[in-house]
Amino acid sequence: MSDPQRLPQAEITELELGYMRLSDAAPLIMAKDAGLFARYGLDVSLHREVSWANLRDKLVVGKLDAAQLLAPLPMMTNLGAGGIRGSLMTGLALGLNGNAITLSNRVWESLELEYPDSAPDPLRVVQKLRSKLQQTGQTITLATVHAFSMHTILLRRWLQAGGIDLDHDVRLLVLPPEQMCDSLARGVIDGFCVGEPWNTVAVEQGIGTVAASGYHLWNNAPEKVLGVTEQWHQSHPATHLRLRLAIMEACKLLTELDAREHIAEVMSQKCYLDLPQRLLLPSLTGQFRFSKNAAPVSIPQFHVFWQYQAGFPWRSQAQSILKLSEQLLGKTLSEEERRALVQQSWRPDLYREAARWLGETSPSRDSKTENEHSQEWEFEPGIVLGADRYLALP
Amino acid sequence: MSAEVNNKAIRVMLVDDHAERARLVEEHLIAAGFEVLSIISSAAGLVFQIEQHQPDVVIIDLQSPDRDVLESLAIVNRHSPTAMVMFAHEDDPDYIREALAAGISTYLTEGLNPARVRPVIEVAMAQFRSFQMLRDELVSTRTELEDRNLIEKAKGLLMAQKRINENEAHQLLTKLAMDNNQRLRNVAQTVVATLSAFDIRK
Repeated sequence: MSDPQRLPQAEITELELGYMRLSDAAPLIMAKDAGLFARYGLDVSLHREVSWANLRDKLVVGKLDAAQLLAPLPMMTNLGAGGIRGSLMTGLALGLNGNAITLSNRVWESLELEYPDSAPDPLRVVQKLRSKLQQTGQTITLATVHAFSMHTILLRRWLQAGGIDLDHDVRLLVLPPEQMCDSLARGVIDGFCVGEPWNTVAVEQGIGTVAASGYHLWNNAPEKVLGVTEQWHQSHPATHLRLRLAIMEACKLLTELDAREHIAEVMSQKCYLDLPQRLLLPSLTGQFRFSKNAAPVSIPQFHVFWQYQAGFPWRSQAQSILKLSEQLLGKTLSEEERRALVQQSWRPDLYREAARWLGETSPSRDSKTENEHSQEWEFEPGIVLGADRYLALP
Repeated sequence: MSAEVNNKAIRVMLVDDHAERARLVEEHLIAAGFEVLSIISSAAGLVFQIEQHQPDVVIIDLQSPDRDVLESLAIVNRHSPTAMVMFAHEDDPDYIREALAAGISTYLTEGLNPARVRPVIEVAMAQFRSFQMLRDELVSTRTELEDRNLIEKAKGLLMAQKRINENEAHQLLTKLAMDNNQRLRNVAQTVVATLSAFDIRK
């Protein structure tokens, strides 16, 4: 813990912070609930928004000081892809993993797979799905939450790993998280990739079966980040530092199971997610159910908020995300443009600054390899990172 | 009074879950000469509705969760582009003013005035067109790059097979293109397809 008295004076203390109705908003709500914002002299109001577009736009026009953002959004907003253009950046990632792919029970049953009581092998499921689509000549409709999201990236990779042709065998569309389950129940879509608790909601309603957890698709993938505008950061560096410190301390608290259970209760309140605690617990406590009548499966890494340097914005990951997003945009940047965009939007130096105040270690390099480790490993002395495997393309 | 693009009325789709407000907006839009295709309350089915009706413009609440859906259509579905106009029902003139300045086209329903709607839609569509042009440019840059790679590959294969230098390979390709009245790219494609099969270097 750092001593807030020694920190540079905050330029402003009243902050508006936006988030979406998702379980991985936990660090922001924890920082509020545990009085950590207050400890750093900040008076933070949390605002639940209904769309990523709205979060982004309010951030760009200054209605929000900071916001939970999908990892690809800062870079894509700098490019002006899809909507408003603005210089967004992040100095703190808000966690790893947290998503899952759910198929309707009708589709699941057609695959002639047993209902999973352990984590299903994502590759086996998607290969079955491909055979089924080939046999019947049918296409399926799957939804994600935003064009530029880890959800889209994970879903596309899963389908491609199984040899499914993204242009012909499947129809991908975007729906708001809260409409996923209703659309699945009504047969408008056959499945989706969404953050928690919406997979659990589908399981509990008995309408869907989880085909893959995000962790099993890409071990410890980046997910959400704390976004601010470059201009805001430049005019409020001390406030930004305090904000990151408060949230990092909240992330650290969330390594404890008790804290996870507690935050699930807090988040269930009307002013936050307004959903029963039992729907928030499975992913937050890492006791996750893939289908309604199955026993819970232990996936401690379902959400990682602190371990494995979860908050560190790796520039190598930003590069990967950018390349994958370029495919979606149908646009190719030059290496130089890509590097400039990553440097501008992802600021590991700001993470290190905050980590030093907290007396925590942080990586000295901005980049790391992916898809090389099946277990946790030592990146540098004292810096332990998690597994980093992802599904290989055929 | 009518609002036309190439002598055709602009076709508008309205997405709004407030029935009363939607009717008010619809009335004004019709008065301003727009063709209102349908009013739908929420995103379930929005994608399908848009594909079916192919509106020129979609008008949607700035605070609607369906904005991510619409944006994705603009990004992903390059074949049926649709402009968007947002309005805010929130009592928040600052946000609307700032959003306008930042490049979102918005208008207020309250005191909605047909003369104001049309320019806003025109602005939105103009913005959309410039975005589309920018993207078309990028696509053509990429195609050029791919063409160049293909031509390089064809030259390499010709050099190896015919034991000629790069200059001669280039001349050969150009001659083939002229003789067959084809683009250099197409000739290169044929050369690559034919010679790759025999390429012993692999």
